[in-house]
Amino acid sequence: MQLKPDEEKPAELPTLRRSLVAASCALLSATGAVHAENTDWQIDSALLYYQEGKGRVQAVEPVVSVKRDFGDEHVLGLKLTYDALTGGSPNGAIPSASPQTFAAPSGSSLTQNQQVQTYTTASGRTVRRLDTFSLYTATPGELPLDTSFKDQRVAIDGSWSQPLTGAVKLSFGGGFSKEHDWTAMNASVGLSRDFNAHNTTLSLGLSGEHDAIKPVGGAPIAMSDYTLFQKLGQESRSSTGGQIGLTQVMTPRWLLRLNLNYDQSTGYQNDPYKIFSLVNADGTMAGYRYENRPDSRVRESAYLESRIAFRADDVLTLSYRRLKDDWQIQSDTIDLKYHWALSDDRYLEPHVRWYRQSAADFYHLFWDATKPLPQFASADPRLAAFTAPTVGFKYAVTGPDGGEWSARLDYYFQTGKNVQKGPGVLAPLDLYPGVKSIMLQFGWRFGL
Amino acid sequence: MSSMPASFDQAVRVESRPGRLHAACFKAMASPCEVLVDTGDADLALFLGEIAAQEAWRVEQRYSRYRSDSVVARLNRSGGRSVLVDAETAALIDFAKSSFQGSQGAFDITCGVLRRVWHFDGSERVPSIAAIKPLLELIGFDKLTWQSPWLTVPEGMEIDLGGIGKEFAVDRALALVTAQRKEAVLVNFGGDLACRGVPRSGAWQVGIEQPLELLQAALLLELKSGALATSGDTHRYLMHQGRRLGHILDPRTGWPVEGGPASVTVAAGSCTEAGTLATLALLQGAGAGAFLRGQGVQFWCQPPA
Amino acid sequence: MNQSLRSWSLIAGSVLLLALTGCSTIGAKPWERARLARASMQLDDHAVEAGIDDHVYFSKEASSGGRGFGGGGCGCN
Repeated sequence: MQLKPDEEKPAELPTLRRSLVAASCALLSATGAVHAENTDWQIDSALLYYQEGKGRVQAVEPVVSVKRDFGDEHVLGLKLTYDALTGGSPNGAIPSASPQTFAAPSGSSLTQNQQVQTYTTASGRTVRRLDTFSLYTATPGELPLDTSFKDQRVAIDGSWSQPLTGAVKLSFGGGFSKEHDWTAMNASVGLSRDFNAHNTTLSLGLSGEHDAIKPVGGAPIAMSDYTLFQKLGQESRSSTGGQIGLTQVMTPRWLLRLNLNYDQSTGYQNDPYKIFSLVNADGTMAGYRYENRPDSRVRESAYLESRIAFRADDVLTLSYRRLKDDWQIQSDTIDLKYHWALSDDRYLEPHVRWYRQSAADFYHLFWDATKPLPQFASADPRLAAFTAPTVGFKYAVTGPDGGEWSARLDYYFQTGKNVQKGPGVLAPLDLYPGVKSIMLQFGWRFGL
Repeated sequence: MSSMPASFDQAVRVESRPGRLHAACFKAMASPCEVLVDTGDADLALFLGEIAAQEAWRVEQRYSRYRSDSVVARLNRSGGRSVLVDAETAALIDFAKSSFQGSQGAFDITCGVLRRVWHFDGSERVPSIAAIKPLLELIGFDKLTWQSPWLTVPEGMEIDLGGIGKEFAVDRALALVTAQRKEAVLVNFGGDLACRGVPRSGAWQVGIEQPLELLQAALLLELKSGALATSGDTHRYLMHQGRRLGHILDPRTGWPVEGGPASVTVAAGSCTEAGTLATLALLQGAGAGAFLRGQGVQFWCQPPA
Repeated sequence: MNQSLRSWSLIAGSVLLLALTGCSTIGAKPWERARLARASMQLDDHAVEAGIDDHVYFSKEASSGGRGFGGGGCGCN
């Protein structure tokens, strides 16, 4: 039996029908992109090219991060980082009025032609002595750079987060990083809870890290004469940290975040490749010593971030960080970004960062050879007092598939503060030339 | 689907049908489901059938109110807190909102609380007005707070997307299957169906089941495009003062709609639209036919028993 | 704990207190969250880029971390 339906079509669709047609079209097109269970892979990748001026460090760093949402806020994250560094790194010695020759202490390049002898000191310690080595020379007035510096690093990080009960979320993280002379492992656990209809989030975190350090040729004996090459075996250090975080929605367009961090590190804090210069009263070099730092460091920091939404899709992000440690270093960082939506699928992000730090209390650009050696001393430029602005921008385009392509260029330059003048023949020389670098980054992120 | 438990129910079987068609059959949403493909290739039918089946099971798992791990169950357990919903659920809630507004409150995903007092088991256990009245306080889409993607279901209220879930699954499955191949396909989940393309035989032959007590042959339709959906279940009723009360409850009164057809079949562009119109028609009671004529759709009404 | 951190804690405490006491002018209602839901308003929306920054600045400066668990992990200079 076949029925013929009633057919009485009005000239135009009635309001209800029209709204139903529109609503079902909207429903089916909105969910059109939902493809079975495969929607929740997020891939974020970037390639960084980093270059310092005057033949110094050059780095290439590709990063791939994958996030998988298993539904109900169960999220797995994996990140793989590789970086390759080449170029010259300051060894800590200051420029001199006459040529200075050093043995390449760092990098894997040395391992091929070194010969190491081992003997035992009177105190029973095993000392390794390097007899053959490659040499490099700094011309008068030139900052001594270890040009054999060459390193590769592979790091893998993982994380898992999930709701514990209704409003409480639990997260775990772990990471492993490997270089030829450095292995680091870290783990963290965090809890967060939403309050006030998701307007307030309070989080607590604990983290731990252990680093195994195997310097090329062994770790030097602290404060020992550089030319003696007295080196011991491997070293290690570990740190534990805690964090309290508060995120607050202030208004429908303003978000604030405050983090308080505490971190305590014990063990080997020295840079095994850094030395400092001993200078005579007339400005000539009396020698070089390996640096020595305290075997612990306690750092406290506060971080405040504000995000404000403007106009169609513009966002101003301003953050401030203050950090203090028990080496008497204090630093301030201000970071400003403006996410400027040029259209629905493109944005430009100008970026300004300003950083300053005070010197560690044992930082000395050089040491007066007539004075007795201090207990701790380092000439590592990272422990000096300096200011360092960064300026740059990022440009990003969203493709028809929703993926985002971006390019970022940042220029960073460090200028020493209250740089000490050298005596005698050193007087005309710039003993702390600072560093200038560019960062060029290409990014691609997309969902599957 | 990794999260689905393996069971013999989750199998897709392929049958050859007259007219060089192949049908992939499976069970989902408590109904027999099939995907008819205009092909002589049984493997192709199986391939497309499995895509449709995965989608049907996925939608069922996400929106069934019988599953404690479904999105709907999670929203109903939220205890009055606002919950962030995914894009698909947001689109479904947007649809429910449009339908609620367009029908002056007749189509309402919050009316499921009435099941606490109404049990359509053929008995005479009709709830008292006093039992129904407090439940009406818990009904009304406008009592939810919906600002996509945040939904707040007030304590005591419930939402049920089952009323549109099956029709939505049909449209979704058809979209996924036709994104793969160009062959003419008809997706039929327990009588709610949608097609794309015309088979070489000229038109899809669709049979719609009739209640046994009418002793009538199945309603046989020819479909060339679009979708069909049927609302109404003649097996679910209650006896009250000698009258038979159907299971269609008016969310505004909490009482079954009387005097309407036993079931309504509507043809429309999408299965979701057809299903919503069929549900709305049943809520009009005796005015179902007039309502559907007013909407300018093809329809078939099954007279009350 | 030093002086500056104490004052930071004070700020944190007062923001928290303000929020927890349900001050009605602070926060956003669920239907006011469209802007907050944008990708560009998500904290850590560019985690890979932030990780690269942390690594570069860690290798040049005495400070690290702050945003999350940061710093360490390499002997790079």
